[in-house]
Amino acid sequence: MSSVIEQIEQQIANLQTKTVASNTGKIVTVGDGVAKIDGLSEVMYNEMIEFPGETIGIALNLEEDEVGAVVLGEATHLREGDQVTCTGKLLSVPVGKGMLGRVVDALGRPVDGKGNIESDETYPVEKIAPGIIERKSVDQPLMTGIQAIDSMIPIGRGQRELIIGDRGTGKTTIAIDTIINQANINKVGLASGDPNFRPVYSIYVAVGQKNSNVARTLGVLEEKGALEYTIVVSAPAADSAANQYLAPYTGAAMGEWFMSNGMDALIVYDDLSKHAAAYRQMSLVLKRPSGREAYPGDVFYLHSRLLERSARVNEDNGNGSLTALPIIETLAGDLSAYIPTNVISITDGQIFLETDLFNQGIRPAVSVGLSVSRVGSAAQVKATKQVAGKIKLELAQFRELAAFAQFGSDLDARTKAQLDRGSRIVELFKQPAFNPIPIEQQVGVLWSMQNNYFDDIDVSQMVSASDALRDFLVSRKESLLTAIREKAKIDDDLAEQLKTAVDEWKASFA
Amino acid sequence: MKQDKQIKEFAKQLLKISLENGELSAERVDGVLKSLEKNPPRHHLATLKAYLKLVAREVAKSTAVISHAGAISPETATRIAAQLSSKYGRSIASVTREDPSLIAGLRVVVDCDVYDASIASSLATLETALS
Ligand SMILES: Nc1ncnc2c1ncn2[C@@H]1O[C@H](COP(=O)(O)OP(=O)(O)O)[C@@H](O)[C@H]1O
Ligand SMILES: [Mg+2]
Repeated sequence: MSSVIEQIEQQIANLQTKTVASNTGKIVTVGDGVAKIDGLSEVMYNEMIEFPGETIGIALNLEEDEVGAVVLGEATHLREGDQVTCTGKLLSVPVGKGMLGRVVDALGRPVDGKGNIESDETYPVEKIAPGIIERKSVDQPLMTGIQAIDSMIPIGRGQRELIIGDRGTGKTTIAIDTIINQANINKVGLASGDPNFRPVYSIYVAVGQKNSNVARTLGVLEEKGALEYTIVVSAPAADSAANQYLAPYTGAAMGEWFMSNGMDALIVYDDLSKHAAAYRQMSLVLKRPSGREAYPGDVFYLHSRLLERSARVNEDNGNGSLTALPIIETLAGDLSAYIPTNVISITDGQIFLETDLFNQGIRPAVSVGLSVSRVGSAAQVKATKQVAGKIKLELAQFRELAAFAQFGSDLDARTKAQLDRGSRIVELFKQPAFNPIPIEQQVGVLWSMQNNYFDDIDVSQMVSASDALRDFLVSRKESLLTAIREKAKIDDDLAEQLKTAVDEWKASFA
Repeated sequence: MKQDKQIKEFAKQLLKISLENGELSAERVDGVLKSLEKNPPRHHLATLKAYLKLVAREVAKSTAVISHAGAISPETATRIAAQLSSKYGRSIASVTREDPSLIAGLRVVVDCDVYDASIASSLATLETALS
């Protein structure tokens, strides 16, 4: 009690002497979540400014005689002539492990009804990306649990890999699968007590989505036990354009905290098409000049400065990483539209999902020809390289041959063998939603494929055969799977064990 | 849009004419207004409004509005004006205004900058610190 009184006495003592200097302005117009302000001569770009009623805004347009600012949250109580004050601070959000398992808004405030968030640190929403000296090239894998991706388009920690495709082609599903897979790996790794194990924490940023979609995603994460390793930042369609604009940067700040503290994190931006649309809307209200497809001229910078923040930091600076999976929604598969071309140019590759494949039941609908990972193969584990090295080529050849095989019935034996192999691989890579497959199981199945164990199995039975093989390995050969995971390569000993195991399975599989 | 810009540009030129040694001169402003009246430009009203805004800003820049609760001596006002003049590097005159809502103390405004040494603002700070 007495300490409170001392504190008040101290503060009253300060009252007498303190002069508070501030830089202010007045609202000229306000509407659509945007305010034009006269004054604020000292304001910085992206500075937090204060409106009456504890309402916060960000100064975005610094013109000679006016400042354009977006109001975060409710703006209906603001009037022309209201005073606005500079804070001298860049907008910051709470960060840290206390955010895990929580759903927050674009300002990092909880919206899940689970009470306050324990966090004693904040990070600025906008930050300079790690310089070239601190960065290190990507060399550690980030497993998605999706066979087609881990074997053909491998992703490394610190990489920026775009997921792109039309609406309803399974983009969100791939991102969520990857988050679930990190949680699965974390549980195994943390339980193993291996001091070198590095968990991956996830941040899922939902921009401009319907509330029902966000709720469904949350439900899946919770059901799969992945929410506890995940932060969800949500700026749904019902939120203001300003909040939707801000949410990805907020998520990035939370991800940077893990990276700066020597940990690994994964961030999903779902999606940047809606993010660009929110920015366009804001810019129209701010009356900024617009260019191609009515986007403001600096829309490229909007996404480049966001994705620049993903990196792998070198050992001297803690060895952390932030991997980004931005998502872009295309219209009729058009990759040449403005936003897709921009984002393709600033990422390290893309996973392209095709509507045709999806409709043919080939799911995940990954287009082998148009997907690429430019840096990830350096991070792919040796075991996968050993069993999947040729698969991308085989599949690409298959697609070519398949198109032409429709016309002729007389195929030579070699072509027929290639077609057979290709159609089996396609089946093998089919995978239901929200069921990421651990890398050691993927290796077991692909090894069996490579060693011709599936050749006499009817193509229509491939999915059930590979399911059965994985079940067999999990229930009967656990130590073999553990050995594959830990050695991460197939030596003679493991090859011998795999042969014995798969022979045993094959005998039982009729 | 474009027209807007032209008007603003024109108003800026007018303001330039209104300055003498970098400071606003009442005589020159008067001259500008008279000349505008004689030869009205194409968007007379809009031009006048834009010009007024610039003049008001210029006045605000060279005026320290001192609000006070309780008495303030002319010497104090002059001293404040002198200090601010040296801080901003331009001559600043002071105007005083009684404002009982400050409770006690002073609040000085120069253009966008507010220097608040009033009890009312300290109490407000204290209130947020304790809540
Ligand atoms: N691998 C899959 N197997 C079966 N269904 C899938 C698969 N991936 C996605 N789906 C289903 O397809 C629909 C669209 O997927 P979603 O990931 O929401 O697409 P997008 O994000 O591209 O719009 C959802 O109902 C989802 O459950
Ligand atoms: Mg989606």
